This record gives sequence, C-alpha cells and structure tokens, in this order.
Amino acid sequence: MNFYSLIICLISILALAQGQSYEDKRCKCICPSISSVTNRTELKNHTSRIMYITNVPPNQCNCDGVILPRIGADIVGKEQEFCPRCDCKYENRNTTIIKVVVIIVIWVISILVIYMAFLIILDPLLNKRIKGNYQEHTNEDDEVAAGPMSHNMSVRGNVLNRVGHQQDKWKRQVKEQRKNIYDRHTMLN
Amino acid sequence: MEKYPLRRSGNISPVSPTYQSMNKKHLNGNNRATFVASPDEDMIDIQTSGPTGGGDLHRTSRLGDEDDDGVSHYSVAYSGAHESADIPGIGQYDDFHTIDWQRDIARDRMRHRYIVKKKQDSLWNLIEGAHDAWSGWLCVLLVGLFTGAVAGVIDIGASWMTDLKFGICPQAFWLNREQCCWSSNETSFEAGNCSQWLTWPEVLGQAKLGVGAYIVSYMFYIIWALLFAALSASLVRMFAPYACGSGIPEIKTILSGFIIRGYLGKWTLIIKCVGLILSVSAGLSLGKEGPMVHIACAIGNIFSYLFPKYGRNEAKKREILSASAAAGVSVAFGAPIGGVLFSLEEVSYYFPLKTLWRSFFCALIAAFILRSINPFGNEHSVLFFVEYNKPWIFFELIPFIGLGIIGGLIATVFIKANLYWCKYRKSSKLGQYPVTEVLIVTVMTAIIAYPNPYTRMNTSQLIYLLFSQCGISNSDDMCDYNRNFTNVKSEIQFAPAGPGVHRAVWLLILALILKLIMTVFTFGMKVPCGLFIPSLCLGAIVGRIVGIGMEQLAFNYPQIWLFSGECSTANDCITPGLYAMVGAAAVLGGVTRMTVSLVVIMFELTGGVRYIVPLMAAAMASKWVGDALGRQGIYDAHIALNGYPFLDSKDEFQHTSLAADVMQPKRNETLSVLTQDSMTVDDVEQLLKETEHNGYPVVVSRESQYLVGFVVRRDLNLAIANAKRMVDGICGQSLVVFTTGNAPQTLGPPPLKLKKILDMAPITITDQTPMETVVDMFRKLGLRQTLVTHNGRLLGVITKKDVLRHIKQMDNEDPNSVLFN
Repeated sequence: MNFYSLIICLISILALAQGQSYEDKRCKCICPSISSVTNRTELKNHTSRIMYITNVPPNQCNCDGVILPRIGADIVGKEQEFCPRCDCKYENRNTTIIKVVVIIVIWVISILVIYMAFLIILDPLLNKRIKGNYQEHTNEDDEVAAGPMSHNMSVRGNVLNRVGHQQDKWKRQVKEQRKNIYDRHTMLN
Repeated sequence: MEKYPLRRSGNISPVSPTYQSMNKKHLNGNNRATFVASPDEDMIDIQTSGPTGGGDLHRTSRLGDEDDDGVSHYSVAYSGAHESADIPGIGQYDDFHTIDWQRDIARDRMRHRYIVKKKQDSLWNLIEGAHDAWSGWLCVLLVGLFTGAVAGVIDIGASWMTDLKFGICPQAFWLNREQCCWSSNETSFEAGNCSQWLTWPEVLGQAKLGVGAYIVSYMFYIIWALLFAALSASLVRMFAPYACGSGIPEIKTILSGFIIRGYLGKWTLIIKCVGLILSVSAGLSLGKEGPMVHIACAIGNIFSYLFPKYGRNEAKKREILSASAAAGVSVAFGAPIGGVLFSLEEVSYYFPLKTLWRSFFCALIAAFILRSINPFGNEHSVLFFVEYNKPWIFFELIPFIGLGIIGGLIATVFIKANLYWCKYRKSSKLGQYPVTEVLIVTVMTAIIAYPNPYTRMNTSQLIYLLFSQCGISNSDDMCDYNRNFTNVKSEIQFAPAGPGVHRAVWLLILALILKLIMTVFTFGMKVPCGLFIPSLCLGAIVGRIVGIGMEQLAFNYPQIWLFSGECSTANDCITPGLYAMVGAAAVLGGVTRMTVSLVVIMFELTGGVRYIVPLMAAAMASKWVGDALGRQGIYDAHIALNGYPFLDSKDEFQHTSLAADVMQPKRNETLSVLTQDSMTVDDVEQLLKETEHNGYPVVVSRESQYLVGFVVRRDLNLAIANAKRMVDGICGQSLVVFTTGNAPQTLGPPPLKLKKILDMAPITITDQTPMETVVDMFRKLGLRQTLVTHNGRLLGVITKKDVLRHIKQMDNEDPNSVLFN
C-alpha cells in the first residue's frame, strides 16, 4: 500500500533524525522593523516585522529580557518607543507527547489498513472452505443466551476458535450495520 | 364489600363502547353515570372465571408478597439483580427498542436495597457497598481521563496530518509546520515558513516559489486530501458504519431511551477517532467537535461495563452517557461549564441533579487532562482561543442583533439545503455510492479551496485568525491597515484600511460562499463529520466582514453622533474580531438552536465575561429568526429525517384526541393477552409465534379482563427457554402461572411459575385520558407503554411508537416514517 511504504520511509527518517533535539520552551517576540523608530520617514516598509525566539525564563519573556540585549545598540534612546510595540509570548510544548501520539496514530491507521486489505482480499478465499460448517444466526441475543451451554457441549475450543467465533459475530454485526446505513438508508442519513 | 376492589367496575363488555373522539364523550359520561348506579353482577363473573376466587386471589397474593419479603410488591415484581441472575438476559433490551425507565430505575432501587441490607453481614459486603456507592464517580472519573486523552490524540494527530498536505518536517516528521519552526531563530517573518519545514516542491528538489512549485503544491494538496478522505470513508464502511456522521442526533435519541446496539461500541470508537483525524485532515468542510460528543459517549458506554450497576441497567447507563456528553463538549471547546450546559440543554433527556454534578466533575477532569496535554502549544485546549479585553459600546448592540438575524438566515438556508440534499441522498441512487460521493466532494473541495488562502488553511486556524485582533504579530492581509507607527501609546490603532483589507474582504466573501455550499454537501456524508466548526466559521466570516465595515464607517465618519462619544479618541473603538465572535455564535445558535450553552461556550472560549450581553443578544435574535423560518434545529431535523423514535420534550401536544383514539388494538381487533393461570406453555408459545407485540398484558381471565400485570416478550421468551432447559417436567402442557398462590392441583405436568418476570405495577390510564396527559406521561416518566383500562377492565395498550405515530399523523406527516421500536 502506498501509505505503508510512506510510513516505512518516515520511520527511516526517524532513525536518521534521532540526534536532533527540539526545545520545549520558547519566548517568541514579534516587533516591527527597527526602521519604524529610527527612520520615521521611511513608511513604505512599515509592515515588515522581526521575530525573535529565545529560551528564557517566563518572567524575562518581555522586551527588556529578549529584545534589548540584542538590538539595544541600534535603538539607543528609542527603547521607550520601540518596546511597547513588541509582542512577546511565552509558550511551551511537549515534543515527546507529540512524537508518541503521531507514531501511535500512524501505527493504528496502518494496522487498520492492513486488516482491511486482509478482509477484502484474503478473507473471501479462506472462508470459501469453511463456509459449510458455519450456520447463520439471525439474533445475536439468542446466541448470548445459549452461550454457556454451547461452550460446555463443544469440544473445549482453543483460543483461535473462540477468536474466530468472536470475529464472525462482529462481522455479522457490521454487515447488519452496513445494511441499515448503506442499503436500506434507515439510519444516519 | 370493601374487600373487593374490583366491584365497582362497569358491566359493559370491553369491546362494546366506541371510544372514538370528543363527540362521544358525552355519551360515555352518561354511561359512567349509569353504571355507577347500576347493580353489577361482575362479582360473580370474577368468581366464576378465576379458578379459586378471582379478584380476591389477585389481591391476597400481592399482600402475601409484602409479608414475605418485607418489601413492597413493586420491587418484588422487578426481582433484583440477585434474583434474576438465574435467567441470563432478563432486563436487557433488543436492538432498536425503547427502554422502560421506570422499570430500570425500580430494578436499580431493588439492587441498591439488597446491597444496603447485606452491608451489615460482613466486612466484604461493607466494602462492596462502599464500592457501589462510589462507582458512579469512579466511572465518570475514568471517562473524563480517557476522553481528555483521546481528544488530545485527535487534536495532535489532526494538526499534524493537516500540515502533511503542505509539506513535511524532515528532521522530525511528527511535527507540524508550526512545531517544526518552533525554535527556528530566523529573524525574518514569513507566514510561518522556516528552513526546517520543507514544502512538497522543495522535497522534490524544486524551488520554493514560482508557478511550477504552485502546481506541484496544488497537486500534492489534492492527492493527500483524496488519500485521507478515501481512507476515512473506506475504514468507516469496512469496520464501523455507525461511525459516520456527527452522532449528536443519535446520541440524543439514545439518551431519550432508545437502544442502538453497537452505536457506542469499541469499533465505533476506534474508527470514529481515526476517521475523524483523516477526514479533518482531508480539508473537508467539517469539524471534529460534534463527533467528540459521540466519542465521549462511546467511552462512557465502554467504561460503564466495568460497573455492573451501570452496564446492566440501561436507564442508569444513560446517566453516565449524559456526563460523557458533557465531557465531549468540554474537550471540544475547552469549555467545561459549557459542556455541562450543552448536555443539559441539547442532548440529555433525563437529567437529575446527581447527573449534573457528575457531568460537572467529568467535564472538569476531561478539560484538565486535555489542557495538560497541551495539544496546540498555546496553553489552551482549543486552537482558536483568544483573550479579549476590549470594551464594546452600547450602540454596537444594533449590529450585534443584526448579526444575529443574518446568522439565523444563514442557518435556515443551511438547514433547508442540507436536509433537502440528505433526503435526496436517502431516496435516490446517490445513496448507493457512499465512498464515491466522499471522493467527489473531497476533490471538489480541494480544487476550489486551494487557491483561496482562507479556505486552504485549516478551518480552526481560519476561525482563530478571524477572532483575533490585529496586532503586531498578525501579518495577514486582513490586518493590512495603513498604520503609522508614530503613536507610541497604542499598539492597535484606528486606521484606514489598506489594499490588503479590501482583498481580504473579497476573499472572505468567496470563502463564505464556498464554505456554505461545501458544508451543505459535506454534512451527512459517510465519514465522521461535525457541524460546529463550519458553522462557527461561516458566522465568523460574516461577523468579521461586518466588523471591518463598521470599523471603517466609524473611522471615515467620526462625526456621526453614534460614534462621537467613544470613537473620538481614535483608539479601541470597534474591534472586528469581536464581531466575528458574535457572528460565529449567531450562526451556530441558528443551526443548533442552542442558547444558554452556546453563550457559555463562547465566553469560555474568549475568557471574558464582558461579552455575554452581545453574545446573548445575537444568540437570541438568531434563535428567533431561525424558529420563525424553520421549526427545527439541524439535529431535530435529522432525527425526524431518520425517523428515530424521539419524543421531543420541547414540542407541545396541542390536539384534543383521547387515549382511546390512539391505543391498540383498534376496533374489530382483539387484544392479545395472557391469563394469569390458565394458559399452557403451548398456548403462550403459539401466541408468541402469531403476534409480534413486544409485551403482553396479563389478565385474571379472558372473560373478565381484569388486569394483573404486564410481561415483556423478550423476558417471556427467555424465561420459557430457561425453564425448559433447567426445570424437569416442563412440557407443552404445563400451565404458565403468574401467581404465587397454590396452583390448582392438577394431575398434569408441574406448572411453570413466571411471577418473577411479571411487572405487577404497570402504568395504567383510562380510555378517556386526554392524549396531552398521555404524551406528558411518556415524556416525563419515560414510559415504554401504558395500559388503557375502562371501568377497571383492560382495553388496550399504548406504546411509545403509537404515540409517535399519532403525533406524526396529527402533524400531517407520514406516520410510517417512524421506523423502529
């Protein structure tokens, strides 16, 4: 599947990118360009902005802590004009959670896709043989009621059989749901 | 004579009177007058019909129960959990059936009483009792924890996958664009792009800008969208068809006491989460907030099975589901109180105070968990959280109400169009190609959406953009005002609009039209899709446009007396972002017809109570306009479209019909009843085979038709099957006995005692009860059926289905559209 090959590709990228470290905290300041205070006549460039990202404690995430140490020399005497226009925001995140979640999502989707491919392609072939000893149940609850008895009577079925039984039951339910929604259009229109 | 309570019953046989309508009331009144006075011989009637003393036996047997168990007959009739455990499945319901709230609550009461009684016995029982007492809180705690975590997964997954359409972060593929450029210390400010983030043309080795790169990006956008949508639609189709749609109409129906097996199951949960991530990432015009309610309810349902108190009792389970719905909205909007109110106002049917507190707790836990996962890196649980503290002037209420009216109009157009399209899908050939439909809509959406930057971006981001104020950090076209940076004091000035704003307004108008049309076609497709985000977005666009208009009006004509007071300082006069918020509330209110919960959700989103009045005004105006133009909100309309058996507590029943007009059987038909001790197993099975009723009244005898109780078909089937298996000597000739008194000594096989499954306290009404009262009883008591008597004799049955059909008939709609039950 196209998607799966992509995932393999992505995981190999993951292996390559192990060394890369990402910080989880930042202080992000956005200011107008310095020209807005130093050179007031030059208005055509008034929309350009500068972004500063540093890693400082939250209480220093302001103009004094981030901007002035860097460009203080350029705007000497104009700090009082420049600073109020800067917009500083302290943010944090957790890259580990993001990484874990995204990888889980990819795994779940790929497992579901593989299982779907299995059900579409292989299952009809496998089921052709055992179709004979599989009887149709119409009511799920009858089966539940008769459940303990059939367990006693049958030869102690191994885990595989029980899983297969569960799977058949589930398939029947899904088939019923599909009939309701896609064929009869009685629900969820 | 007082001993014989049935004595005063009329001697008219049950079938003779025609209780048809109000016209006959007079006649019946006369009848009543006569039979009270008339000496009645039915005393004899009973004594001859009953085997050992008729009505007398009936009464004494009840008294006998009370003496035996020290509890009332009511609870005996329901046989607590410990008693019915020997017949598996008693008290459960079949698929697509309505639950009997009274019966379930009585069962729970009985179970509770049993636990309390046993508490003194041993330490273990004491612990069991304590566990039982706190299990409700424990369950909602688990639901809250899990809902918050799942919401975090969905938020992170969706934001990553949405950005996958544009490019990739090669050094850490799991990061989306913003996270990828998180610590990039590049001083240039260029629409969130940085060197770490590679767009697809760059990955393929092309230039970042230019025509070729644009085309490659366009192609990649469409291909990714198609892939995601195809995966979503086929996963839904393959594994869990119930995962499609928003889920709120169905949740409403389920909470009103309907069983849809598998709707809140494990597979539905998994597929809904995965499908939601995929369909949101596909760039379709849908949101993840509505399905979040479904997801939370599925979690609630799954956890309730850990606690038999809730898992085995459908009425009690609905208390957990109400709390889960609150948690769902709480994580969807980061609004715990809004979630509780949403559950109360919109979805729940039965909402006692205890459930309110549990919902509150559940919503709180879920919001806390999501907040600590911090999926968007903004310290809040929604992307479009904005903090506002700008004042608004009194005059602005007029445009706000105007926005409410526009919102109501847009909502009505949307509801009508969407319903028309859904009906068309239901009845035409289109419904046979669900996956193809999804693909076509996706391709259309992607092709049209890409060229417009406002539709290209994620809808949540667009809402955030529209809500936020124009500050220095906002470099969008929308904020391209001709500001000069001379006035030091003010960050945001009152300024004339630049060319960027004009461009942005035109693009926004195009985006509005596109979103409206695409949402009509999207909502109802067979992928998980919610409605909150698109409607918020529509409203926000309208609001922002109106806001920009107002702002420019105030700027260009500051002399107008309306603006003269507040706007003279040329500062903080009109905030377009606030208009966007009010507009969003208006459209969402018009679509869903929420009021209180909507306002609370909106002000929790903005973190300021200052805007309650504007939001209230807009929500109210929108609701009025919506109600005037179309009766139902989108959820109620979809319930009606699907014909779910939902008895809306908002509607009033205004017709003058009587219970006798609605009850089954109609004239010339006979009522199928069981007798308390004269039918054999064969007779009962024959009756079960010939009729399809879901329950049968039990009478003293066919001749007298005096009511004993009510037995449910399912229980009867199970009990007979169980008895045949477990009890020796039960055969076709065994008598079925619903009494506890000594059965008549016969030589035949032993009798089958079914007292345990008999509901001896069925709700009864008389045939002259107005339907208004009956409908009220069904709503408020949550009945499944009620028995109709005349002069104390059983006359017929009214089920919830009959009531719903009757209401449809009275409203001149097709009564056969009520499908289940």
